[in-house]
Amino acid sequence: MDADTAIGGPSGQFPSTRVSLLEAAASGLSEAAMDQVIALYWKPVYRFLRVKFQKSNEDAKDLTQGFFASALQRDFFARFDPAKASFRTYLRMAAERYAANEYASENRQKRGGEVEFESVDEFEIAAESPENEFEREWRRQLFSLALADLRTHCAETGKQLQFRIFEDYDLADRDRVSYSDLAAKYVIPETTVTNYLAWVRRTLRAFITDRLRATTSGPKELHEEMRRLWK
Amino acid sequence: MEVSDSILEHLRQVTLLPDLSGTRYEIESEIGRGGMGVVYAARDRDLDRRVALKILEFPIAGEAQLIGRLEHPGIVPVFETGTLPDGRCFYAMKLVSGARLDRYAAEDHTLTERLRVIRRIAEAVFFAHSRGVIHRDLKPQNVMVGAFGEVYVMDWGVEAVAGTAGYRAPEPALDPLSDIYSLGALLRFLLGTPAPPALRAVAEKAMSADPQLRYQSVSALLADIDRFEQGHAVEAWSEPAWHRIRRFTSRNAVLLWLLVAYTLVKFFFFFWKKF
Repeated sequence: MDADTAIGGPSGQFPSTRVSLLEAAASGLSEAAMDQVIALYWKPVYRFLRVKFQKSNEDAKDLTQGFFASALQRDFFARFDPAKASFRTYLRMAAERYAANEYASENRQKRGGEVEFESVDEFEIAAESPENEFEREWRRQLFSLALADLRTHCAETGKQLQFRIFEDYDLADRDRVSYSDLAAKYVIPETTVTNYLAWVRRTLRAFITDRLRATTSGPKELHEEMRRLWK
Repeated sequence: MEVSDSILEHLRQVTLLPDLSGTRYEIESEIGRGGMGVVYAARDRDLDRRVALKILEFPIAGEAQLIGRLEHPGIVPVFETGTLPDGRCFYAMKLVSGARLDRYAAEDHTLTERLRVIRRIAEAVFFAHSRGVIHRDLKPQNVMVGAFGEVYVMDWGVEAVAGTAGYRAPEPALDPLSDIYSLGALLRFLLGTPAPPALRAVAEKAMSADPQLRYQSVSALLADIDRFEQGHAVEAWSEPAWHRIRRFTSRNAVLLWLLVAYTLVKFFFFFWKKF
C-alpha cells in the first residue's frame, strides 16, 4: 500500500475518501471540490478580509460569501496553476483581489463618493498581519475539521473510550492530567492509555493529511503544506 | 470543534511526534529539522544503543535502499529504513557526535587540516558515485567532523530534495556533475579568505556553470587537490611565471640550499687557493 495515497498508513485502518483538488476539478467535481475548499477556507478568508479591509462582522461575512459564490460561478480551479503558487496563496490573493474590486465598484456606485470602512471596535484587531492571521486561521480550521472527522470516526467504529482519553489529555486547555490519573479514571492499564493516545494522534494526523489532500493540487503541494504545517 | 491557540500548538506538537509503536525505538530528544523532516536522538531498545532517527514526511524512494548498502568510512551507516504506523518513513542511522562542518569551519584549523576534511568528503562522494548514488544536497549542514577527525557525509540522495542555494548546481536535473559543483562550493567555504589562488581556481573550476567545464569526475578533482599539496601546478589554473618560480623554489628548497652551499664552498676554496 502506498502510504502517501492511503490514509491510515500501512495498517490501512480506513480508506481515504478524498482526492486531490485538481483531480476532483478535472473529473467534473468542481462543486464537491469547492465544498472542501469552503469548509477549510471560509473562516480564514473571512478573518483575512475583515482584518485587511477593516470590515464589520456582517460586511466581512457578506464579502466572504460573495467571494466563494463568485469563485463557484467562474472557472476558479482552471485558472489555478500549481507551478506558480500554492492553492492557499492563490486563494488568498483571489479573495484580496475580489474584495478590492468590490470596494472599487462600491465607490463607483456612490458616484465617486468616499466609502468609509466601518470601524471594528468590537473586533479585536490582530497584532499580526492579515496574511499571518489567514495562516493561523487556516491551521486552526484544519485541525478543527480533522477533530470533527476523528470524533465521527471514533463514534462509528466504537472507539469512544479512545476519544474520551484523548479529549481529557490532549484537548485539555490547562492542568493536563497524568497518564496514571487517566488509567485510574477509566480502570485500564497505563500502557493502554499511552497506546490509545498514540492511536488517536496517528488517526488525527491521517485526517489532517486527508483534508489537506482535498485542498492541494497533488503530492508535491501536499508535502509542502505538511512541511509548513509542522514546521 | 473550535480549538484555542494553546490546544492548537499542543496538537501540532503531538501530531508531529512520530508514532514509534511497533518499532524498537524510543525518542530521546530532537536534534534538528529541515526541509525533509525531523531528526531525533533515539534509543534502540533491542540493541541498547543510541541512534539518529530521521523521520521523513514522504515515502523513501528506491534509491534509499541503495544508500542503506553504502559502506564507507565517510558515509553515516544506515541501520534500518521503514514505514511508521502513521505512514511516515524513517531512517535509523549511526548517531554521530562532533561538529557540523559550518561550525568546524569557524574554528581555527590549518589549511592542511581543512584540505584533509574536503578530501574525506570527496572520497565518500567518489565512492557513492561508483555505486550509482548521487548526494543531491551537499552542504556544510550535511557534513559532520568528529572529535577524532573522522568525517561523515549525511543525508544521501533523497529525490525530493532540490538542493540548497549556494551549494546547488544551476542545472535543473541533478547528476554526478552536480555533486562536483557542490564539492567546489564546499571547498570554497572551507578555504575561507584569503585562500591560495590555485585552490580558489580548483573550487571555481568545480563550480563552473557549464557542467562540461567542471571536473568530469570526483577523482579528477581529488587529483588536482593532490597536485596542490605536492607542490605541483594544478590543472585548473594557468599560473603566472613568478608563481611557478616561487612554487619551484619552495618545492625544491633543500636541493636549492645544497646547491647554494656547494657554490659557496667552491667559491671559498677557489679564492683560498689563489691567495
